Amino acid sequence: MELNNSKIKIKSKNLNVYYGNKQALHNINLEINNKEVTALIGPSGCGKSTFIRCINRMNDTIDICKVDGSIEIDGKEVNDKNVDVVTLREKIGMVFQKPNPFPKSIYDNIAYGPTIHGIGEKKDEMDKIVETSLKKAALWDEVKDRLNEPGTGLSGGQQQRLCIARALSVNPEVILMDEPCSALDPIATAKIEELIDDLKKSYTIVIVTHSMAQAVRVSQKTGFFHLGKIIEVDTTEKIFKNPANKMTQDYITGRFG
Amino acid sequence: MNLLIFALIILFGLSSYYFGRSEARKLITTNKIKLNALPSYYGYYLGIWCGLPALIILSLWSLFEPTIIKILILSNFSNVESKDLFYEQTLSFFNGNFTGELTNNIKIASERYSSLNAIAYNSKIALLASAVIFSTSYAYKKIKSNNRARDDVELILKGLLFVSSLVAIFTTIGIIVSLLFESIKFFSTINLFDFIFGTSWSPQRAFVRDASTITPEEYLELKDAFGSVPLFAGTAFIALIAMCVAVPIGLFSGIYLAEYASTKVRKYSKPIIEILAGIPTVVYGFFAALTVGPFFRTVGESLGLTVSSESALAAGLIMGVMIIPYISSLSDDVINSVPQSLRDGSYAVGATKSETIKKVIIPAALPGIIGSILLAVSRAIGETMIVVMAAGLAANLTINPLESTTTITTQIVMILVGDQEFDSPKTQAAFALGLTLFIATLFLNYIALRVVKKYREKYD
Repeated sequence: MELNNSKIKIKSKNLNVYYGNKQALHNINLEINNKEVTALIGPSGCGKSTFIRCINRMNDTIDICKVDGSIEIDGKEVNDKNVDVVTLREKIGMVFQKPNPFPKSIYDNIAYGPTIHGIGEKKDEMDKIVETSLKKAALWDEVKDRLNEPGTGLSGGQQQRLCIARALSVNPEVILMDEPCSALDPIATAKIEELIDDLKKSYTIVIVTHSMAQAVRVSQKTGFFHLGKIIEVDTTEKIFKNPANKMTQDYITGRFG
Repeated sequence: MNLLIFALIILFGLSSYYFGRSEARKLITTNKIKLNALPSYYGYYLGIWCGLPALIILSLWSLFEPTIIKILILSNFSNVESKDLFYEQTLSFFNGNFTGELTNNIKIASERYSSLNAIAYNSKIALLASAVIFSTSYAYKKIKSNNRARDDVELILKGLLFVSSLVAIFTTIGIIVSLLFESIKFFSTINLFDFIFGTSWSPQRAFVRDASTITPEEYLELKDAFGSVPLFAGTAFIALIAMCVAVPIGLFSGIYLAEYASTKVRKYSKPIIEILAGIPTVVYGFFAALTVGPFFRTVGESLGLTVSSESALAAGLIMGVMIIPYISSLSDDVINSVPQSLRDGSYAVGATKSETIKKVIIPAALPGIIGSILLAVSRAIGETMIVVMAAGLAANLTINPLESTTTITTQIVMILVGDQEFDSPKTQAAFALGLTLFIATLFLNYIALRVVKKYREKYD
């Protein structure tokens, strides 16, 4: 029992989210395992992104958004008033749908997070952080000779890996990915998927995706969302081979959504 | 008379628009023809053909008629001396307000003028009427043959827009050329270097003197009457004070509106700030001269300082207030156009709002912000009313904000107020000042637009 509990990294209980009068999430109960990839699938507007934005409280930046219910990380409540959002987000990195490097140099893009948290104040420490982050994101070899060039000058796939490197630079425990490959071509997508596979050794990853194939390829656990509700959560194998719910079956075979 | 003809042509044009449209409709309904264009296009087509040629003929005629008549009359009186005067006398005799010595020649010329006028008038009417009839019937035939009226109408509209922009461009060029020519006259009397580097400005010394008759001895006297350095220094100084007020307040309120204010606060406060830009500058001017200036003097006196009641500080301060909305509303727009994804990226690594603003948003928006500041600077340099009322007239070369100074615009106003001798260097100096001011603001605007354009390319 004890062992089983420590395997769970993130746990949401009766989570409800409202945008103004509209309820976006209804009673979400979901457990995300440590050092595993959890994929969230479902048609557009079903609340997948809203859910992962609850985990690092990115929804705080939206005025009309109201969250109630509970999300725990390592047994600690995220929605608690006393939680410092800055430290929370240091622990939970996020990668977005569209690559969003800052209009700064590649080096400064990575150095941004550590500087804010007061890590790597010495130049050689920072160099080390930049190098390891870029290596972890499998970008180092491509950019090591042009660290001072703007990050916006990279190709789409490289930009997205730069954003992953930026998320890794502050040593997070969890990485949230919101459709990280939707703006990329198949080759860049393959690279990112390879990277995700590699990263799950040290990080807990939650990925929102519209590609069934991607969910099958990268994840161990899959949750199917529909109209703000969780329809089914199980191991990826079970969901795609033998789903318990008719709706899940219909969605993964492309009959709706 | 021309006005009546003009109105008639417009009336004909309008009625042929309706006529053409209904004809086209008739063709569709009775003859079951599928026309190439909508009925209203045939209306426009007929209307334009009816009105446009006649209008062109009318305007050309009115333009050339007086000159041609004058040439015709004067050709009969080749022995008269000073022909222009003679012709003026003829005209005034014809109009019945002639005074002076009446000669026989004038009487003859006047009769000839009256007959020529009548001929011209009749032939104008005949020409216009035939133009209207001919072109309208031509266009009407074209409708019957189902031409592509749409293309022709589009072509004419394009031409109309082109002519409008041409008018704007030529007006600008005309203004610049007139500035240039008057300035060249000024610089042919006053040395360019004396103007640019001279440190004393007292143009009243050249008050009623014809520029072309100034002797070298007199020039030595005038040499240091037109040193523009105090004016440029005063202008720059007041603009600097204004920017010291406007940049921080404008920028910070822009940041507040874009990043912190709730939608409701933004909805009400942005228009209120923009009202500042709508207050007439003369109101700012008397506020500066009657309220702020004396206030500074009282405060200064209580501190034991000598403060002039017309001070650079008062003028600059009020000018700064006037400029706040330019900077705040432009930088608000620029900050808003920084993509939300950059903010998300910054928040996601744990940055606070102010860190995000300082390290991501402001750097990303910087070119746009600089552009807005440069536009504000060129506004401050060109501003006239506030400085005329509040900064004073004495061309002191000073950096003490409590003394009165003067600016380029103030001096232009001072020079051109009242009766003018147009060939005195004093008057021409206004054009030279105007030209330099124009070049300065043009340069600033150019840089500002370049910077803003570069910024736009980044996110589109």
